[in-house]
Amino acid sequence: MEILFLFTMVIGLMMIGVPIAISLGFSSIVVLLMFSDTSLASAAQTLFESFEGHSTLLAIPFFILASSFMSTGGVAERIIRFSIALVGHFRGGLAIAGVLACMIFAALSGSSPATVVAIGSIVIAAMRKAGYAKEFAAGVIANAGTLGILIPPSIVMVVYAAAVDVSVGRMFLAGVIPGLIAGSMLMISIYVMARYKDMPAGEFKGFGEIWDSFKDAFWGLMLIVIIMVGIYGIPGVTNAIFTPTEAAAVASVYAFFVACFIYRDMGPLAGDQPVSLAKRPQAIFTAFWHPDTIATLRDAGKLIITLMFVIANALLLKHVITDEQIPQRITEMMLGYGFGPVMFLVIVNVILLIGGQFMEPSGLLVIVAPLVFPIAIELGIDPIHLGIIMVVNMEIGMITPPVGLNLFVTAGVANMSMMGVVRAALPFLAVMFVFLILVTYVPFISTALPNALMGPEVILN
Amino acid sequence: MSHSETPPNWSDRLEETLIAAILGIMTLLTFANVVARYGFNSNIFYALELTVFLFAWLVLLGASYAVKKTLHLGVDAAVNLAPDRTKRLLGLLVVAICVAYSALLLKGAWDYWAPFANLPPTEGRWFPTGFVEKYRGRGWYETKDIPVPFFLSWLEAVFNNGDEYEKLPKVVPYLVLPVSFALLLFRFVQAGVRVARGEQDLLIVSHEAEDDVARAAEKLRDHY
Repeated sequence: MEILFLFTMVIGLMMIGVPIAISLGFSSIVVLLMFSDTSLASAAQTLFESFEGHSTLLAIPFFILASSFMSTGGVAERIIRFSIALVGHFRGGLAIAGVLACMIFAALSGSSPATVVAIGSIVIAAMRKAGYAKEFAAGVIANAGTLGILIPPSIVMVVYAAAVDVSVGRMFLAGVIPGLIAGSMLMISIYVMARYKDMPAGEFKGFGEIWDSFKDAFWGLMLIVIIMVGIYGIPGVTNAIFTPTEAAAVASVYAFFVACFIYRDMGPLAGDQPVSLAKRPQAIFTAFWHPDTIATLRDAGKLIITLMFVIANALLLKHVITDEQIPQRITEMMLGYGFGPVMFLVIVNVILLIGGQFMEPSGLLVIVAPLVFPIAIELGIDPIHLGIIMVVNMEIGMITPPVGLNLFVTAGVANMSMMGVVRAALPFLAVMFVFLILVTYVPFISTALPNALMGPEVILN
Repeated sequence: MSHSETPPNWSDRLEETLIAAILGIMTLLTFANVVARYGFNSNIFYALELTVFLFAWLVLLGASYAVKKTLHLGVDAAVNLAPDRTKRLLGLLVVAICVAYSALLLKGAWDYWAPFANLPPTEGRWFPTGFVEKYRGRGWYETKDIPVPFFLSWLEAVFNNGDEYEKLPKVVPYLVLPVSFALLLFRFVQAGVRVARGEQDLLIVSHEAEDDVARAAEKLRDHY
């Protein structure tokens, strides 16, 4: 009874335009006051403990900051140039390069809308200039942009890890192979469509251009190396060097140095003619309080605040549903009906596809994960595998009409109608669905890499 | 865009500087801890705990700033279909709920924080009906690792009968709770006034990159 009341209230409030965070928090408090004897003081305490008790979540602000420093300047452009040099000469090459650039950028940033904006604004323009249909360009980017939450580092994965207590490192590793597969499936289907529809191909500019563009993008690409080597070490050489949180903080500082002193896209050395550090050595200090630095910190801060306020309130809701033993009751009910793993995963798919349309993925995950996690364990589904399934579902939720988030963002960036983007995204949406089925029913894809590198998973609860 | 860019006033500047400063300090502190571990074979033992508290301060204090700047995430798909009159009425309902949320949590935050400051929590379940007469002060509760900075040494006289604190007392980090929910309440009331006057209809944006999308669309439009 409470559960129906709780979720109806959350959804109802969201639909009339209450901020998501407050829909979650307010409903939780009302349910607490009506159905339990918990005090308001403990609700406030739970909110504070979202931070105090989940130090895993501390990685989120640093990943957001790192990607903000990386997106200040021309890193997206450098990555796109490198991608075009690599695959631009195939038929439909520019579109394939767009997918590749989204995959690389996804590895730098943890958010899908951010990936669509950074890559889409450049690639869509370039594709139209090269003679592609605007709709096709938008469809490609809307889909490839969703890889932002699947390819590590991913904010959504950090949230999942915190919500159900699995290792962030494992989740990140588990996303690598599915991310590569999803990207490849998109690229192959573009190539097939391009052959069939005779789309333009760029010219191959030679290995010199590949090398030059690689050198130019190198410092940006190094960020991925720092994060991955930091968290996992080099197999056979060192163990893990940082915790995921530390890796994210180091990545932020690194990204700041690259943006200020190597690329000189921002800070005291930036300008139409970047100044060399030797000419202005005091910049090494002034960069820290340069207006550009402050502005980047402020913008990243805004993102962190809105995202974490949702997550903190979602954790309050999670607290309420675990207090009321709702997950156990749902588990009993589902097992009572005799649902097997297959049926269960289908239900999870449906819930997330619908939820992912309306809600910020991280907040949705905090609520749904604790509900389905105990059932999954009962049914013998690997927690890491479940995490990847949930992430992929939310990717698809973002590009499913009528209100997928990425469709909105792409429509905005490309100045297109929502319906136009929906039609354009459909063929690729079908590809992503095939991918979802693959990931859902072949657990090996998700678990192989983490189990190989970090040993088999031990389930504690 | 539902909000317009107005020139920043003193409170904008204060809040924005605070946001940037807290985030910057969190990052440098965590980074410094790594450097200390690998460079100097030691560590800043209080770095993690302090960073976590700063994180909580950043988000809780920032929540009210996000109300002022209309940054909170929400679902606008359904509301945007409603006719203007309904939209305005819904807007007022939304504000009422947000105000209720902040008021309830302000009471909760006070009740939670007050004992740490040796102050009385309030009576009543939903609504504060007065102060509890018998309560146990928790002024002596300390954080795990954070040392007391010199400028806070007066705390022991006020909250701990003059007994010296070994670590920072919890009254300090938890102070953010009542402060931030009071601010949140204030900002929601302000937003309510704006909605009632018809200066603003929505309290939400549909995704975090709205400004960036607008900028990118502008850029693309210039090209063609």
